[in-house]
Amino acid sequence: MQDLEKIDTRFFSAEREAHLDVVGETVPRVDARSHVTGKTQFYEDMTLPGMLHLKMARSTRHHALIRKIDLKAAEKVPGFVRALTHKDVPNNWYTILRLIGVEPNDEPVLPEDRVLFAGEQIVAILADTAAAAGEAASKVKIEYKDLPAVFDVEEALKPGAPIIKPHGKNYFVYEGHHCRRIRFGDVEKGFASADHVIEHRYQSAPIEHAPTETTGCIVKPEGNGRFTIHSNTQACYFTLDNAALILGLPFNKLRVVGGTVGGGFGGKVDVIVEPIAILAAMLTGRPVKYAYSREEEMQVSSPRAAERITIKDGVMKDGRIVARKVTLYVDAGAYSRHSPYGTTKAAAHMPGPYSIPNVWVDAHCVYTNRTPSSAMRGFGVTIGDFALESQMDRIARFLKMDPVEFRMLNAYRDGDTKAHRKKAEGCALVEVMQKAAEMTGRTLPERFRKMSSLSREGI
Amino acid sequence: MLRAIDVPQTAAQALNSLARARDAAVLAGGTTVMPRVQAGDSGIGALVSLGRLKLDRIEAKGERITIGAATTLAAMAEHKALGFLGGAIESVGSPTLRNLATIGGNLFMKQPYGDLAVCLLALDAALTVVSKKGARKIPIAAFLAKGIGRDAIVTAIGFTRPAKGSWFYRKAMRRAQNSAAIVAIAAHLPQAKGRIDDARIALGGCGERPVRAAAAEQALQGARLDAASIAAAAALLAKDAEPFTDAYASAWYRARVLPVHFRRAVFGE
Amino acid sequence: MSSSVVTLNVNGESREFLCRPGTTLLDALRDSLSLTAAKKGCAQGSCGTCTVLVEGRAVFACLVPVETIGSRPVETLEGLAAGEALHPLQAAFIEGFATQCGFCTSGMILAAKALLRASPDPTRADVVRAISGNVCRCTGYEAIVDAILMAAARLRKTATRKRAAE
Repeated sequence: MQDLEKIDTRFFSAEREAHLDVVGETVPRVDARSHVTGKTQFYEDMTLPGMLHLKMARSTRHHALIRKIDLKAAEKVPGFVRALTHKDVPNNWYTILRLIGVEPNDEPVLPEDRVLFAGEQIVAILADTAAAAGEAASKVKIEYKDLPAVFDVEEALKPGAPIIKPHGKNYFVYEGHHCRRIRFGDVEKGFASADHVIEHRYQSAPIEHAPTETTGCIVKPEGNGRFTIHSNTQACYFTLDNAALILGLPFNKLRVVGGTVGGGFGGKVDVIVEPIAILAAMLTGRPVKYAYSREEEMQVSSPRAAERITIKDGVMKDGRIVARKVTLYVDAGAYSRHSPYGTTKAAAHMPGPYSIPNVWVDAHCVYTNRTPSSAMRGFGVTIGDFALESQMDRIARFLKMDPVEFRMLNAYRDGDTKAHRKKAEGCALVEVMQKAAEMTGRTLPERFRKMSSLSREGI
Repeated sequence: MLRAIDVPQTAAQALNSLARARDAAVLAGGTTVMPRVQAGDSGIGALVSLGRLKLDRIEAKGERITIGAATTLAAMAEHKALGFLGGAIESVGSPTLRNLATIGGNLFMKQPYGDLAVCLLALDAALTVVSKKGARKIPIAAFLAKGIGRDAIVTAIGFTRPAKGSWFYRKAMRRAQNSAAIVAIAAHLPQAKGRIDDARIALGGCGERPVRAAAAEQALQGARLDAASIAAAAALLAKDAEPFTDAYASAWYRARVLPVHFRRAVFGE
Repeated sequence: MSSSVVTLNVNGESREFLCRPGTTLLDALRDSLSLTAAKKGCAQGSCGTCTVLVEGRAVFACLVPVETIGSRPVETLEGLAAGEALHPLQAAFIEGFATQCGFCTSGMILAAKALLRASPDPTRADVVRAISGNVCRCTGYEAIVDAILMAAARLRKTATRKRAAE
């Protein structure tokens, strides 16, 4: 494999005008020195006098009504200070994207009458030490009445499936529709005209980010009615805005100190620990720490959504894909969080970076009684790409075509209309594949060596 | 929550501490007890440390080895007389963990943890156990079947070092290092006049505790150590193995690969 | 449940503090001694972010009650640099991009320190083994292994020069 030039200027030479002095150079990280000397301040690297520890009593059921909560044994644990339930929360809805109009409210900060996934937080216990909080939380007695649960996206959508959401549907409603839909051309005509029709189903499991630093925050009440929140969130403004809405506080009462994240990967973009910790600080007047244990991080914090994707392609002998039909299910788990947005991204990402004249996509955001899922690297797109590119390889093998050439043949060119009706621009898939072929010692046939994202030559 | 931690200087003091507090737990390396304590719902109210009881000596008298129960796995790995256990010790956790974890603690672990316990079963080790009634020796099989109750402490483990060429060990893992057993096999296959005599085969990942593969052992009695007899024995492992499903592997998978890893333990491939 | 006074030798200094029974070395370092480089990633001994040295050996501080340490010296990351001058391991981690979020870095460097003290000329496999108890979710480990080997080479060179000068 040849050496990588810092910037390969042979491609798009007519467009090249950037005067780059950092891209392509090796620049030390600004935080490396403090990391290696132990001076980087993660949120938990501080102790505040009088700090309370918050531990949650969590649901042991997948789907159940909460019949009774008994705190008597918990209250007797030495060091117990206070318990918080939904009654203490001013505006008991967590809807991450409410500020940009994404509705409905579907997730309580603390559940009022029912739980929708095993591990859901129910009662917040505050105590003088982490050990006392943990012991008291384990002594909270909760009586449940089990409800039928559903764990599979297609099962959840079957008629007669137990409905687990208050708005009456096990799926997110997109402007009156049951899924995100893309209709471009006519796929049935496309399949009828194709030489081959190839259909496969793909499935991924939920994926946990497993950061070495668990989710958490420390909230400090300042003397002036304001609160400083030290959080390892990846999204300080999500935290500030949502906490203000939940607590009914003017935004300027909250100051979020963050940006130092011991591994995020998309797993620290929900606002789960801060609102309840701020509430605890408000009600007790003391600093409060709410930190996930390792078990909570692995089991309760949101993972990447599992997805089930069926791709049906109409393909010509010469390698052109003439129709692509995609049915995609995102397992949002018990609550929406970012999944409605992720599912939209998934739909828009179809049919992949390829110009296909007939495209049909149904992308469903489905609720099940599993841990609510949320963002993770390449949110909404990565699993779709796994399915798309696996499909491309399978078709190439079926047609006995080189998989690189097969992709270059179908790749977007500048000016092509994508399935969701945006014009493709800044395309570079062709050039990237040419470069990759060169770097891996593969000689492409001349027709493919001459291809360009700027023209339809060779197609 | 912990009320107290005791670091006694004698075994008698340790036994007294255990008797005084019904929710006390023995602390050796802490690699299993401390996570439980920190999880918050362990019910452990007191810890009794074995750290100052001088239970960390390794004695080799000829072929007879005696290891103090609080000896760390790292110390065992560094001892000349225990070279044959090197592969097994290396397969447990990481070097950092092995600086804390003890051979005694390893005896109490539920499979698929407790690889040294699998080895000790194949070595037919004897445990020295002290209680208020005094010291006694119990065979490891009895310990694995019944435990020792909460008023006793294991203080030492003794076994005879296997003859060269008679000890085989293999642990199948999902990762190259620092991972629990899919299955683990420890086999003592001594030979007299070219024939296997008194085989002992212990299996990990095949039940809650290590088990002896009695049917396979019987089949090897008087056989030569060759591919045919090992294959025949491998086919009989299932009779004594009850593998389980956990995050590492399914019961089906464990059962499926067990005979393969047994063969690889003996022949390397 | 009364606290007791514990004295530990940390980074060459005698440190005295009050703590509850069974306080782990990790909690003592972080909460009582303001030595927060060692991190709490799991409290189970499965992530390695709490790795410190006790008597030169790497241990998981989250599993060690302070009452069991006695007079054995404890070393943390804070004791590694000599004033402003970085230890070769620290310099190598910076130059080699062996740290991203930084959360595993303290544990990695100390596990490496223990290795290099015992084996100044480790193989790549030795390094991988030494850090097998330390999880990193950011770098993919290769840069860390390279940095440790680079630091090992520099330390050997310094030692050779020192011996030659004596």
